[in-house]
Amino acid sequence: MIDLNALRTQAADILETGEVGAVIGWRRGSRGMAAEPVAIVAPEEAASLVWDPTCFHNLALYLVEERKKPAQRQVHGGKPIAIVAKGCDARAVTVLLQENHFGRDDVYVIGVSCEGTGVLDERKLAQVLPGVEPDGAAFDGDNFVFATSEGERRVPAREAMMDRCLECRNAHPKLNNVVFGEETPRDFDAPFAALKRFEQRPAAERWQFWQRQFERCIRCFACRSVCPMCYCDECVVDSINLVVTPETTAAEKADRVRWIERSASRADNIGYHMTRALHLAGRCVDCGECERVCPVNIPLRLLNNKMEREAREAFGYEPGASIDLPALVASFRDDDPGQFIR
Amino acid sequence: MSEQTPYEPRIVAFLCKWCSSAGSDLAGVSRIQYPANATPITVACSGGVSPQYILSALRKGADGVLVSGCHIGDCHYMEGNMHARRKLYLVKELLEFAGVEPERFRMSWVSAAEGAKFAQVVRDFVEDLRPLGPQDKLNAERP
Ligand code: SF4
Ligand code: SF4
Repeated sequence: MIDLNALRTQAADILETGEVGAVIGWRRGSRGMAAEPVAIVAPEEAASLVWDPTCFHNLALYLVEERKKPAQRQVHGGKPIAIVAKGCDARAVTVLLQENHFGRDDVYVIGVSCEGTGVLDERKLAQVLPGVEPDGAAFDGDNFVFATSEGERRVPAREAMMDRCLECRNAHPKLNNVVFGEETPRDFDAPFAALKRFEQRPAAERWQFWQRQFERCIRCFACRSVCPMCYCDECVVDSINLVVTPETTAAEKADRVRWIERSASRADNIGYHMTRALHLAGRCVDCGECERVCPVNIPLRLLNNKMEREAREAFGYEPGASIDLPALVASFRDDDPGQFIR
Repeated sequence: MSEQTPYEPRIVAFLCKWCSSAGSDLAGVSRIQYPANATPITVACSGGVSPQYILSALRKGADGVLVSGCHIGDCHYMEGNMHARRKLYLVKELLEFAGVEPERFRMSWVSAAEGAKFAQVVRDFVEDLRPLGPQDKLNAERP
């Protein structure tokens, strides 16, 4: 069990001593029991930090945002930023470091171990406790404990955890300056379990499945917005890839390469999602946030997991494992598979 | 496609400037007969073929996409084809995973001296694509 007070004290201390300029963590939110991301700059504010099963957000996203706003950095006096990070979040920070998004000294990782559980899947909870809208959630050993109007409800974490947590291999943040919680053995699903089941389905069925999924995408780009790895200023699906000046002719505008249209048509949705999966190959840390925020429940993890598993099995590459690794597609081995080439 | 014209697969072929494109030239000057289904696009290096090119060709109605470069060890830029091999392996896997026929994407190594091999690669590709019929999965213009 993580001692929340110890975590708060740590946050307050590093703000007090000026070791960091801000701490990104979670606080009680305004949407039911769910926590929300917060950046605090004063030691007193540390008392508002929380750690509970609703801390599902991958806060590494805000490190990226931070870096994009130089004005904000001045507020924090150019000091390092601290981030409260679960296992998956810490892997995301590792990838950002690998990609030189900032230096190791610019970030202070306050690791929190998910120990023997993980974070809550609100969709699953709605099945397990139908009609109940809890006011609060807490960890308790192998269980989640919900505060409801009818008293405490205890649910085995396994039944209400995110799928990604069930398959998680590093629930204990490896990259950290300080870490709270133990590295506990976990006994849930094998990694890539859902992926393996899906792959066994015949090709025609797989296509039917993805076609149905992609037809439903409304291209809200929530999946892209929430992903710490989707940090490009210009995305291939945006129409801003051409600098338009008063001198730009209509012909130039028309000739601009449009790889993928923004419209939510099936072909363009497939183009978007395949491109995204490929751009995330070797970078996606399986935090599962894209899947969580998708308003139409598209199983995006399955796509990213596929790339992750291929990276692992074909190239021995594990995203977020080490700061010193080169990027997956910027490196190669002499014995990379090539049997498919004629 | 009218009823009289039999279906002919359309292939977009990304050929590296140094080897495969020269190989296709050799096939031409040697007057080797091979099907005219492939539209060649010369690229500097197979390593420069972005997955985007492949997806885009399929989106615009290609029935198959070929990427061809120099043999391993012969890349003009030393290691471009090593990068291509890794990157495009992922594209191949992803397409197959989504249920797209794996035959629709193909890679080959063809040197500047291998005109006959180039012709054979195209011949085989056309024969493998023909039974699949038009590619309508990723095609934006499908009926
Ligand atoms: S969040 Fe879902 S609906 Fe929105 S763009 Fe992503 S996949 Fe499509
Ligand atoms: S693609 Fe999804 S699971 Fe992967 S890092 Fe981005 S938000 Fe997380």
